[in-house]
Amino acid sequence: MIKLENKQNSTWNKLLREFIRGLDHAIQYLEERDVERIPGAREALIRRLENMRTHFPKNSGEIFIKAINDKIQNAFFPNTKNFAEAFEKILKSRTHEQDFIINELINGFVSSKAKSIASDTQVPIIDRMVEAFSSRNDFHIVDHQFYAMFGDPNKPRKYVKKKLEELVSLFGLVSKELVVEKDKRRSERKVYTFYTFPDAILTILEEKYIIIDEELGYAYVSEEFDRNVFICMFLANIAVNRDNLEEIGGEYTVNGISAIFALILLLSFMPKISVDEDNPILRDPSFDESNMSVIPKSWMMKQVLDKLFEPLIKIIAYRLGGGLWLSNIVDSEINKKIHNQIRFLLKDVNRWILGELVRVEVPIFVEISNIFQEIIIGTETE
Amino acid sequence: MLKLKLEKWTDILPRYQTFISHMKPILRETRRIIEDLDADLLYDTEVLDKIREEEERRNVRKVRALSEFSAMYRSNVYELMKDFIIKYRDRISLIDIKDYIIDFLQESVEALTILRNITNPDQKNLKNTYLYNLVKFLEKILFPKGNNIKVIYEKLLEHAPEYYESQRHILKTHTHYREDLEHSDFFTIPGISPKVYQIINNITSFFNLDPNYGPFPENDNHEIPMILKDDVFLPYIDSIANAEEEAIKSIAERTGLRVIDGIFLAPKKGFIDLLLDNNYLRTKKQSDGIIRYIPQFSNETLILYYLAFASRRRGFLSKELINWISINFAFLIYMGILKWKLTDENIFYSIFKDLQTNEKVLPYLMKLICFPNYLGLDKTKIRDSPQYRKEIFNFIGAQIDNIQNLIENVGQFCYKKFEKEKNNN
Repeated sequence: MIKLENKQNSTWNKLLREFIRGLDHAIQYLEERDVERIPGAREALIRRLENMRTHFPKNSGEIFIKAINDKIQNAFFPNTKNFAEAFEKILKSRTHEQDFIINELINGFVSSKAKSIASDTQVPIIDRMVEAFSSRNDFHIVDHQFYAMFGDPNKPRKYVKKKLEELVSLFGLVSKELVVEKDKRRSERKVYTFYTFPDAILTILEEKYIIIDEELGYAYVSEEFDRNVFICMFLANIAVNRDNLEEIGGEYTVNGISAIFALILLLSFMPKISVDEDNPILRDPSFDESNMSVIPKSWMMKQVLDKLFEPLIKIIAYRLGGGLWLSNIVDSEINKKIHNQIRFLLKDVNRWILGELVRVEVPIFVEISNIFQEIIIGTETE
Repeated sequence: MLKLKLEKWTDILPRYQTFISHMKPILRETRRIIEDLDADLLYDTEVLDKIREEEERRNVRKVRALSEFSAMYRSNVYELMKDFIIKYRDRISLIDIKDYIIDFLQESVEALTILRNITNPDQKNLKNTYLYNLVKFLEKILFPKGNNIKVIYEKLLEHAPEYYESQRHILKTHTHYREDLEHSDFFTIPGISPKVYQIINNITSFFNLDPNYGPFPENDNHEIPMILKDDVFLPYIDSIANAEEEAIKSIAERTGLRVIDGIFLAPKKGFIDLLLDNNYLRTKKQSDGIIRYIPQFSNETLILYYLAFASRRRGFLSKELINWISINFAFLIYMGILKWKLTDENIFYSIFKDLQTNEKVLPYLMKLICFPNYLGLDKTKIRDSPQYRKEIFNFIGAQIDNIQNLIENVGQFCYKKFEKEKNNN
């Protein structure tokens, strides 16, 4: 037992050391090259990276542990084996802007044709599911209704049956059968299968997403009920099955998810920059000072980001899925390409306005940033 | 196919009106019945069942589809009334319940009247029709017309702060997997697939980060920003962006860019003027006297060019894009009218939003919207087989918040334009 713990400690310490080395390289590169237009932006970034170098290794990487374990996992990838619990946590962290992150987690990153988390056909089918549930007042779907809505007369029914089966297993839907001895149209015996969510999920959806009318015995979906409810389920499913790589899409998923979370971490740690009063960005109608801040853009340069990203992705992978996930973050050319692509994601919360990089201050960024600030202030007070 | 091409305004309008014309009398008759009914009788919902059965018997329609639809529609109306009564009969007085139901029915009849009279067979007084006004209101925000791309681009920018997500949404066809990036017909413009969207975002980032600069081909002594085409595609694995890489010239053209020397992507001359006008390029005089244009793009810079380009060449849009744009317009108009006429609590809202109702109204509305006086799109590309109508399910399930805000705005526009003005006169 002690041996295992020692091994874990040594892996974790090694990852932290690699990150510090990455910071050194990034600082060195930044000192040589300036692509910022806002005076002081580069210096602010260098200062921030130096601060990170000082504070991140402290208390065995306390900042990372808090940011990843408490914030990122809770919001997007809960560490539990209980599907309902995972789903509830992801669902609760939804805001309009964080929805963009949730969407990106599903289909945003580069993957191979065959191994993306949600295939091309699954996403449209999720949209149809939203409508299928919305169009009934008992929060059930019936197999025949599903076939009628989504079947294609030019294709054999087995395709749509297969789709339904996939969805049933993916979302863990529960079914019950209704046998009609003589149906109205042909007087034939017919078996209808109704599908709905397990009780634990229904309870979570109640109030905000489903309105239960006890007097009438109806369950309506509310205006809030949308595709992201299903996408949260998708994520919850991956989160609880994180130890079963085959089930969740293998190394592509591991690399993709770790890289997006690494991007969230980095974005949260970026310093806010003050701009001159006459900077045109302040007059741009898409810039909202109350929830956006300009951040340095030079961290997005390949030479800087590569150095920070590689070790950061490993840190995330290790915290999320232990040695199993870490072993899938290999420095292969393919992985490098995936990681390289990530810097351009999260475009709705990490957006360009008149050539400056702007971070939309969504809760996850603010919370992670606060952890860092608290620790710095704590150290200064000491 | 030939039959489709011959479809005239006077062919489509009656088809659009058919189902609406059957809904309205059912609601009107129901309202009359409820009005004449002693409120106390409402307590026992079996009374409503009996009335409905009687009504069913009175109506004999020869066209089966219509009689089935009417029966379904009436039974939905009665079920909703019964539910409302059961829910509230012990909480509020039956007289109030009766009044509420009459009000809800009245609102619904009014909404159907507007939908039924959205336009007229010979399009007379065109500029006063609901359809014309609503299409123009939305067109201005999402798909403006103009003599050149510059005019259109600037109109789009004007509404981008509030509606950029919707402007982007109407380019992102849901059926992108059926699109060809390059068409045998060179001019055809497809929608933006998730991958093309990602590529456009990458291009924006590369321009902002650390671009190269090269001579402006049409203007001596000037330098324009350029990025390496390969940089954009480098991160893609397993050949998943091969199609996009091969079609880069077309993608570049649609986003205001061009390929220089086979390896660089740089803005076209016309686009440079536009970028300068909108502060997306700034000038810097170098020590050697050469003027350098430095990019400062926003997320919407290239995407809105794509939209302006599609709007200017609206005669050449792909089938998928035409269907997608017109269903968005049809849905916004339909929902906007409902927002205007129905209060949020109206118990009959769900019937209007029911897919069985939607699929009977929206496909014809889509076609009407495509006529030259409105969006001016190729209406023969609108699909109307039952299978394609099912795509409406997809479409409605894929709604975004920003479109919902726009629906609210359409409702307010209707109120101001048609009700307030009428009251003032």
